[in-house]
Amino acid sequence: MRRRPGISGLQSAAAARDQYRLVGENVAKIRTDLMKEQLATFRSQLEEFARKHKNDIRKNPTFRTQFHEMCAKVGVDPLASNKGFWAELLGIGDFYYELGVQIVEICLATRSHNGGLINLQELCSLLCQRRKTAREAVSEDDCLRAISKLKVLGSGFEVITVGKKKLVRSVPTELNKDHNEILEVAQAQGYVTVEEIEKTHSWPSGRAIDALETLLEEGLAMIDDGHRDGKRRYWFPCVAPISAALGAEGLRSSS
Amino acid sequence: MQKLGDFKVPHFFNYPPYYTLQPVKETREKQVQLWKELILDYCRNQKIFVIGLEEDYPLFSNPVIERSLSHEARKVFLNALVAEGHAEWMDKSHKKCLILWLRIQDWAAYILNFVKENGFEDSVMTVEDIRSGIETRGTELAGIDRGVLMRALRLLEQKGKAAIFKGTSADDEGVKFSA
Repeated sequence: MRRRPGISGLQSAAAARDQYRLVGENVAKIRTDLMKEQLATFRSQLEEFARKHKNDIRKNPTFRTQFHEMCAKVGVDPLASNKGFWAELLGIGDFYYELGVQIVEICLATRSHNGGLINLQELCSLLCQRRKTAREAVSEDDCLRAISKLKVLGSGFEVITVGKKKLVRSVPTELNKDHNEILEVAQAQGYVTVEEIEKTHSWPSGRAIDALETLLEEGLAMIDDGHRDGKRRYWFPCVAPISAALGAEGLRSSS
Repeated sequence: MQKLGDFKVPHFFNYPPYYTLQPVKETREKQVQLWKELILDYCRNQKIFVIGLEEDYPLFSNPVIERSLSHEARKVFLNALVAEGHAEWMDKSHKKCLILWLRIQDWAAYILNFVKENGFEDSVMTVEDIRSGIETRGTELAGIDRGVLMRALRLLEQKGKAAIFKGTSADDEGVKFSA
């Protein structure tokens, strides 16, 4: 629009701005309405989908993950309320609640062995073994979802990442950076030596021992003085599941 | 899965740190518990009644992971079994240990039950019959240590459930059970 000089020009400009603003607001409103409508349609289509594929969602972990992702995109949380439409339709609120209870039980049962820190992979496999009779398979993703629900209940469960692995913590033990680094080194062979830690990290002498002693006290580590080289090893049950302790030698000699 | 003969070992048997006595109390308790159970299971399975500390048992070392229990560790675990009545030191120097995966009173109950189930009340069996006869084959009684058996029988005698008497030869003792 061409600007016209003078007062009337200013008035026109103001009127034009107002006009634009109104149109702008209208457009915004239309866009929002449109979006809301699209969202509503999408939601009802999602509900229809969930109804139709209820069994697949229940039985297939991969499908279930994808379903969750779809829901997240439209802002639907099937687990938000145990009484909600979703929970009733799919019954998956109960599924995750049940998983949560079993996860807590497994963590408690293994606590004396691993100090309250367990590898997510191991947790998942123990969970599957436990649920052998149930017809529904369980994935690591399911475990993580169940644990996040546990967190909301304030049960002290936390998932931490150490190196390439995820560990589930079920005790209030706080791990500092030194502890984390030691755990990461331990992931290679399931154990560390003081020498190894000091060498790879150029820590002053004493720092490694302090961290290792704390981990020992917390029940996260166990000592091993039996190697013929006479060096003390600190083993971490949480990074090397006990069934993997055999390593290559075990595969060779197991009958 | 690691096997000792045809005995299936638990997972912890293949985890090196379990062969070193743990300093932290809770971890140590767990360790003792696991070894106690293993010792009892193994002895029951292999019908071992006496463990000599100076001897080697496949139970106490694992060549695959190159670890074995020290004398001290073995003593700790055996002492724990003694404390709960599942073992007894046979000598003052604690070199030989009698393993009772069933305590004497449990053996007595087992024998009584066996007698009832097989209708042996009022019949006479020799001690040797009980240890190696056809009737006890496949039961826990087969191969039972003579000393343990006699103690269990004497307990039953005290309770009036059995009567021990000498047979024709020195090692031909007999037992009569009463219902």
